[in-house]
Amino acid sequence: MTEITRRTALGAAIAIPAAAVIARSALAADPIEIDLFFPVPVQGMLANKMKELIDRFNAEQGAIKATAVYTGSYDDTNLKTRAAIKAGKPPAAVIMSANFVREYVINGDVDPFDPILEKDGKTPTEFFDQFWPALKANAMIDGKVYGIPYQNSTPLMYYAVDAFKDAGLDPDKPPETWAEWIDAAKKLTKPTGERWGINFPATYDYCGWLTSAFVMQNGGQYYNRDYGGEVYYNAPSTLGALTMLDTLVNKAKVMPPGVSDANTCTSAFFAGRLGMMLLSTGSLSFVRDNMKSPYKVAFLPKSVRNAAPIGGASLILPKGNTPERQAAAWTLISWLTSPETAGEWSRFTGYFAPRKAAYDLPEMQKFLAEHPDAKIALDQLKYAVPWFDTFNTVAVRKAMEDQVQAILSGKVAPADAVAAAQKSADELLRPYVEQTALKVIG
Amino acid sequence: MRVDGRHLALLAASAAALLWAVPFAWMAVASLRPGVPPDIASLTPAGPFSLGNFALAWTSGDFPLWYLNTIVMCGGILAVQLATVSMAGYAFARLSFPGLDLIFSAFLLQLLLIPPLLIVPNLATLVSLHLYDSLLGVMAPYFASAFGVFLMRQTFRAIPRDFEEAAMLDGASIPVLIRHVLLPLARPGLVAFSIVSVTAHWNEFLWPLMALSSPSHQVLTVGLASFASGAEAGSAWGVVAAGTFLVAAPLLILFLVFQRRFVSSFIFSGIK
Repeated sequence: MTEITRRTALGAAIAIPAAAVIARSALAADPIEIDLFFPVPVQGMLANKMKELIDRFNAEQGAIKATAVYTGSYDDTNLKTRAAIKAGKPPAAVIMSANFVREYVINGDVDPFDPILEKDGKTPTEFFDQFWPALKANAMIDGKVYGIPYQNSTPLMYYAVDAFKDAGLDPDKPPETWAEWIDAAKKLTKPTGERWGINFPATYDYCGWLTSAFVMQNGGQYYNRDYGGEVYYNAPSTLGALTMLDTLVNKAKVMPPGVSDANTCTSAFFAGRLGMMLLSTGSLSFVRDNMKSPYKVAFLPKSVRNAAPIGGASLILPKGNTPERQAAAWTLISWLTSPETAGEWSRFTGYFAPRKAAYDLPEMQKFLAEHPDAKIALDQLKYAVPWFDTFNTVAVRKAMEDQVQAILSGKVAPADAVAAAQKSADELLRPYVEQTALKVIG
Repeated sequence: MRVDGRHLALLAASAAALLWAVPFAWMAVASLRPGVPPDIASLTPAGPFSLGNFALAWTSGDFPLWYLNTIVMCGGILAVQLATVSMAGYAFARLSFPGLDLIFSAFLLQLLLIPPLLIVPNLATLVSLHLYDSLLGVMAPYFASAFGVFLMRQTFRAIPRDFEEAAMLDGASIPVLIRHVLLPLARPGLVAFSIVSVTAHWNEFLWPLMALSSPSHQVLTVGLASFASGAEAGSAWGVVAAGTFLVAAPLLILFLVFQRRFVSSFIFSGIK
């Protein structure tokens, strides 16, 4: 923002209107071109909406011409960004899955926002106080700001009101603890798959996300959020969480065996064949648009405590850009994460707006009043916890996911699963650990 | 016995055809159903039906531009490939030069490499050639095709040398020989290769996603994904099916129109 305001101020200071006109046309003639990589993790017209936002940004000022580049899923976007940086064509800014930011820092592929923030007269902590606190761990790494949260979500429990009534449950009193949850699921489950009590996506990524939720609800840490070389897969809190999953599928039989994806869950939910599902708050718009019978949402059930891990994406500055391009990228990032724009994006997508001030705007207050489900998703943020990120995040995450999927398919006992997951995670983390925590000094 | 065998073969072929047709049939049915119906998996739903999904898919992106870019990309790749694979195929089939076997083995080795391995080196090459984010850049790595060279080599070798010797007696040079004698006889091979090449590049997702950035250079597969994929939420199957139909339609129509010619070309080559 500094760049334009300074130039506009300069233009305004010149008294002769003609001079201002010349200054402005000179600006318009030679705008700096920047590109923004963006993924589309939820289905719908998001790509169109992003284009609309960027067109508006370009129309509102003449110094920067931004282009929104669709880059596939979060994983595709990661791949393309890495390849582009290696090939010497880094994009000016990327909307990057928040749990990948740490790896970019470890690999030295991103620049911190700190120098830019200092120019604006803010310390990193002051700057970050404008966002929901749980977002900090995935964006502020080793004391520096590497990500500006843009679109964020947590898991949420969706439940069908008709199914609750049919099972003799009170739709106004959703289960709050694991015990109540399993009890409700038992009542909701009808034999031969006519209706299941619980389901949630256990495909890669979703599986790790929800597993971390269960472990943290069970009092655990799951991974070392300050150091990318440690995970706590073989811990009592993890074993307890996985035993609970084993119970759901293999003992109480209230959840379909095997691995479901998000589509399976929503299709069954819409068709009345599923009582409760755990799904991202990013799916709120999709569920709202497609669920014909009444549904409600609630906090994730707790064991020792409530916990809902953050998901979603942050804006990052890939290394290798000129200072001019970085300044332009910062102008775009500031605009995208302003309360107004962030609020608009949140209302359109279903993600929550990471910036707290977005919720002070009248449009947002009106939206929350009209959509109580979005309000509950927001209230759950007081229990939000950071998102799993380590060295080699995806592989280390999969080490646990493979075991959880095996449990859901009834192929492994929880005690063996946690041991196996820990063993393969340790192998994957070893190269980093040996260079850092276990480095021999002297 | 002979009749039994034929019946059995017919039965097996029908079963395979049915298996192949089910996803297409489902795509066609699902694309006509609005919303997210509870019996979305059904092949014989009761309705209601509408073309709303097609309208929604069409307005979700710039389909005319995506069609154009995809046609330019596939056509450009194929045009250059036809020239390179026939010449290289001829060289490996008929000429003898030092290192022939070694070079041919190197060509075949290329078939073993998985394409994602080459993304970063290829991108770096494109950047240094100033072809990053251009349609020419997406096409460039495919201008030489190991598979095509191998196929054409085999095709040329299957043609009796008598034709060439007769032409050479009449004073034909090698380019004339290839152009007027061998290529017409190798048409079935060229047609088969063209089908494989066009379908592969029409359906390719990862490489165009990596090499192209500007929305004005976008191709169909990436465009489709921009509104049809979404891991975090569920999918509106109807729109996804309609979009997929729009992407696949040109190839389907092309095949239906040229089906007789494709098949007769193969039969001709068999009789010859």
